[in-house]
Amino acid sequence: MKKFQDRIGLSMPGLLFGVFLLLLPWFPPFNKEYILRWLIAALIVGASAIAFDFSGGFIAVINFGFMGFFGLGAYTSALLAIRFHLSPWLTIFIGALSPAILGLLSGLVSLRLRGMMILCFTWFVGLALMGLATKLVFLTRGSLGLPCPTLYKTASNVPYYYTILGMMFVTYLVMKLVIQSHYGLAFRAIGQNMEAARTSGINPLKFRVVNFILACAFAGWIGGFYAHYYGVLTPDLMSTAKTTEVLVIAYIGGRGSLWGGAVAAVPFVFAMEVIRSVLSDMPGLNLIIYGLFLIFVMLYYPGGLAEGYRKIVAKLRVKEIAQH
Amino acid sequence: MLEVNNLNTCYDFLHVLWDVSLVINEGEYVCLIGPNGAGKSTVLKSIAGLIEIKSGEIFFKGISIGDKKGDQICRMGISLVSEEMNLFTGMTVMENLSMGAYTIRGKKKKEALMNFVFELFPRLAERRIQLAGTLSGGERKMLAIGRSLMSDPSLLLVDEPSLGLAPRVVDTVFQALEVLNKKGVTIFLVEQNVTKTLQVVDRGYVLERGKIVLEGSRVELSRNEHIRKIYLGV
Ligand SMILES: Nc1ncnc2c1ncn2[C@@H]1O[C@H](COP(=O)(O)OP(=O)(O)O)[C@@H](O)[C@H]1O
Ligand SMILES: [Mg+2]
Repeated sequence: MKKFQDRIGLSMPGLLFGVFLLLLPWFPPFNKEYILRWLIAALIVGASAIAFDFSGGFIAVINFGFMGFFGLGAYTSALLAIRFHLSPWLTIFIGALSPAILGLLSGLVSLRLRGMMILCFTWFVGLALMGLATKLVFLTRGSLGLPCPTLYKTASNVPYYYTILGMMFVTYLVMKLVIQSHYGLAFRAIGQNMEAARTSGINPLKFRVVNFILACAFAGWIGGFYAHYYGVLTPDLMSTAKTTEVLVIAYIGGRGSLWGGAVAAVPFVFAMEVIRSVLSDMPGLNLIIYGLFLIFVMLYYPGGLAEGYRKIVAKLRVKEIAQH
Repeated sequence: MLEVNNLNTCYDFLHVLWDVSLVINEGEYVCLIGPNGAGKSTVLKSIAGLIEIKSGEIFFKGISIGDKKGDQICRMGISLVSEEMNLFTGMTVMENLSMGAYTIRGKKKKEALMNFVFELFPRLAERRIQLAGTLSGGERKMLAIGRSLMSDPSLLLVDEPSLGLAPRVVDTVFQALEVLNKKGVTIFLVEQNVTKTLQVVDRGYVLERGKIVLEGSRVELSRNEHIRKIYLGV
């Protein structure tokens, strides 16, 4: 059991954070419905940041079309639920398959390239998906929006909150277990030094594609939740700005930590909402602040929150040893 | 064991290797010496499949490997040791070694290989959980060699192991290579430290401006006028 705890990286602060999130909707002001909506939006981004970091933080592949894959999962799930009257609980899982397959195809094409080229290619894929969602009006209703059934019949946000919290945890758990496995070792190796990985007998393309498929599948799964939470989909959910939001949060959380994005998401999405509402007469300014913040983090705290946490833990250890 | 015929290699438009041919027999300890920029590292990278070759043939144990990729070549038993390419600086010593053994199946065999590496380099054993990026220059070289050994290679390509090392550490590294060769590993060594190299190898080649200009046994090379003047400085 101890071993399993270590493998999933469960620590006391991690446990406390989990309990904190579990209890949060019961304390004012977080028990208000509109604040719960914010929290859910934050957890969607947090869960996405985990999946984003799974590629970005380990195999050094920045999926700049991330929200395109997310949206593909969302639309697939919504359309299956509408056309075939399937339960959304089922369709969010089937919906995750289409971004996984697209991840396989685009991965085979792009992942033999170098980092910057992959970024451009995935960006293009994301833009193309958004373009398709806009143009295929007969299927997606374009920018009119596609109404779709919701997961619960209630108007309360509480069950959704716990659902996305659970999904975020599952995303973390699965990805952490993969990272701790034989595969994870190869992922990290490829991210750090591709040539050396090759001279260790690893075919980087194969491992990168496997990683990419998994990340895209989870993106689509979380996208499915998005669809059946908001109950309406518009193509702009796949926009580059939305991907940037996920990227920023993954980076602030700390590349290669997985958990960092989940922790960063709630405070950061809140802060951004506040800034957005304060600066509501200057649209776009919040994106500039995003950009500046990201540059600041990359320059001065390249390890993000996770690095800061590691340093504090290391310091406490040293103190502990000094006391004995 | 290894046969290279008329190998030509280019970096884009820069033609670096010109009709390089060489042979290495099983169990031999062979060196490749030459001035900076001659193309020595390029020879090793071509054999290890890290760069595409333009023309020529490379045979390993009778199989043509000229068009194979680095990962396939590694699995066939050729391992390249070069500092720039061998370490995962953000991983611990243990993780680096595990990566070296990635293609090895069987826990027992991996453990045996790891024990062998730690026997060869006791300093690494003391630093199991240290990040490779924080090791000293000598320790990095040891780890780079250790990591290569973890794939249980039959041919070890070693690129300038003495570069930037203190003389005492150079001795450690050279001793380790000799131990390996005695154990049956074939070694192809690229070195700048010619004096030391010609004390240990069986045979050698001299590469200048991308061409093999000289070859011979250790004794022949040590006595050669050109070598004595240019490389040994006597
Ligand atoms: N990645 C590269 N791209 C372009 N040129 C290179 C590259 N690596 C080496 N060269 C060039 O190829 C020549 C041979 O380099 P190299 O094989 O590293 O020589 P050596 O190892 O003998 O010092 C040099 O002129 C060097 O500038
Ligand atoms: Mg060199």
